[in-house]
Amino acid sequence: MRVNFWGVRGSYPVPGHDTNRYGGNTSCVEVKVSDDPDAPHIIIDAGTGLRKLGKEMMSGTFGEGKGVSHLLVSHTHWDHIQGLPFFAPLYQKGNDLFVYARQRDDTHLRSVFASQTDSHYFPVPFDEAQASVHFRELVEGAEFEIGPVKVSCTRLNHPWIAMAYRLEFEGKVVNYVTDTAPFRDILIEQEFIRQPPRPGDPLKSEDAEKLAKMRDGVVRLCEGSDLVIYDTQFTPEEYAQRPHWGHSCPEDAIEIARAAGARNVVLFHHAPERTDEQIDALVAHHRSRTTDLGLVAAAEGMVLNVGDDLPRGGKK
Amino acid sequence: MSAAPIEICFWGVRGSVPAPGPEMNRYGGNTSCVELRIGGELCIIDAGTGLIPLGRELLKTEFGKGGGMARLFLSHAHWDHIQGFPFFGPIFIPGNKFAVYGPGRSSAVLENILEGQMNPHFSPLYTMKNLGAAIEVHGVEGEDGVRIGTDLSVKVTSCTNPHGPTTSLAYRFEQAGRAVVYASDAGYAPTGPSPEASHLYAGAHTIIHDCTYSPEDRKARLQRGFSSTEDAARAAIQAKAQRLVMFHYDQDYNDDVVDALAQRTRRFLDENGGTSIVLEPAREGLRLTV
Repeated sequence: MRVNFWGVRGSYPVPGHDTNRYGGNTSCVEVKVSDDPDAPHIIIDAGTGLRKLGKEMMSGTFGEGKGVSHLLVSHTHWDHIQGLPFFAPLYQKGNDLFVYARQRDDTHLRSVFASQTDSHYFPVPFDEAQASVHFRELVEGAEFEIGPVKVSCTRLNHPWIAMAYRLEFEGKVVNYVTDTAPFRDILIEQEFIRQPPRPGDPLKSEDAEKLAKMRDGVVRLCEGSDLVIYDTQFTPEEYAQRPHWGHSCPEDAIEIARAAGARNVVLFHHAPERTDEQIDALVAHHRSRTTDLGLVAAAEGMVLNVGDDLPRGGKK
Repeated sequence: MSAAPIEICFWGVRGSVPAPGPEMNRYGGNTSCVELRIGGELCIIDAGTGLIPLGRELLKTEFGKGGGMARLFLSHAHWDHIQGFPFFGPIFIPGNKFAVYGPGRSSAVLENILEGQMNPHFSPLYTMKNLGAAIEVHGVEGEDGVRIGTDLSVKVTSCTNPHGPTTSLAYRFEQAGRAVVYASDAGYAPTGPSPEASHLYAGAHTIIHDCTYSPEDRKARLQRGFSSTEDAARAAIQAKAQRLVMFHYDQDYNDDVVDALAQRTRRFLDENGGTSIVLEPAREGLRLTV
């Protein structure tokens, strides 16, 4: 199983000199289980990184209208879906796209996606996509198979709720865990939170219970994982200011990966204002004190073989 | 009476979708956003991702303390012209005031469009009501024009251009006999700009014009409703403009492609009666005065 990173940024795309190395496109990750053309093609999230991936796909079976792809969506905030209208395989007749996301409580997934390309916002309506698009509405804890790949999911601590995924193939495991706040200071669900509590303030007992259950779900999902790709948008100082925005720090990713007995962590969903040098510094800082886990920061164009050991701190 | 120069700064010059990458570094990958200082006012034209770095700069001024006021003019509501708005720092600071002008014959139409981008499926903001600043929305389509600035010395007029399956507004900002035109996302009929558009552009000092495509790409993608560099050059020649600013480049055109397009457009102007027109390919950070 191989993971290709096409977009690694959170919130919004950030072109410019400062993001040349890690990349400025929003979240999009491709998972290939083998080079066999019949093996399932899996994409996680449809941020602007999807545009370039789509172009590459068009040089193969998707260009002939014979491609099948499976898109797992963590949630429908813009930075996770804004690449879809620019996904070339969608406009090629004969292609099939399966879209998986948590079911919404108030409407169908198709209508959420269709409203992104409402005529006010985009020239081509979603229903004019030439490919066949099939929606699979997920409930929390759903388990299903995409060919030989076992997929499971659990909910995260984020406004309007995001899903984390586990993909398992031939004994190898990769996890995608974004967007989420840590599971300790604040429960984030459907309500808009105007004034966040201060980190450390006591929680309502039902919120504490829900958060504990959510954390258990995430730890279980990442159990024995070879590669945990995790939302690390914030530094601890930034998190303290905005605990209700629904993002974590590298410290949280490392803590969850350890609890789950995972082997490697990928810092992902970088803050838009984080420069290449700052990300370098974050990696150096966390790697130096993390001897029990491999650790890298996701970068556009990076390819990781699931199962390989990533660099870790300590003696060489 | 002499008036202060009109100042223009480009924050996003790209069309359709932000295009990060080293090959885009010189012209920039942010979507449409232009800052215009005229008649003592801050006008912002379009709210693509270029609006986000502009917002960061503005937070260092009175906007950081809730004492700022700006007018935002939207050509239309396609994503690349509004996607920076929810990330525009000054809208979160109570005390700041924004007037938003755009397509729609009533403010409700435009307001619903802006609300739509913030609904909780798509954005953690949920609704514009959660923004700290005071925001007034005005539909200007079909209006005679808006007077703004010190002593209402600035007149802003608009016209509707065809843009593929929809339309977009072009704006003219005029004060003391000098005018700047912004005409992005314009897919003219083969005959060129409509009489209304020609009237809007006529005699403008500077025309910031849609240059999404090369003439060849325009031909291959006619239905998308964008201009070629030659469409833009013809409009500037017809208007007897003094300066043409190339704008809204296709997301796949890297720096070298834009360089080459600018050279071609210079030649086209020279060969078609536009020798006196100054050509400026817009890039992020470019500052111009009128």
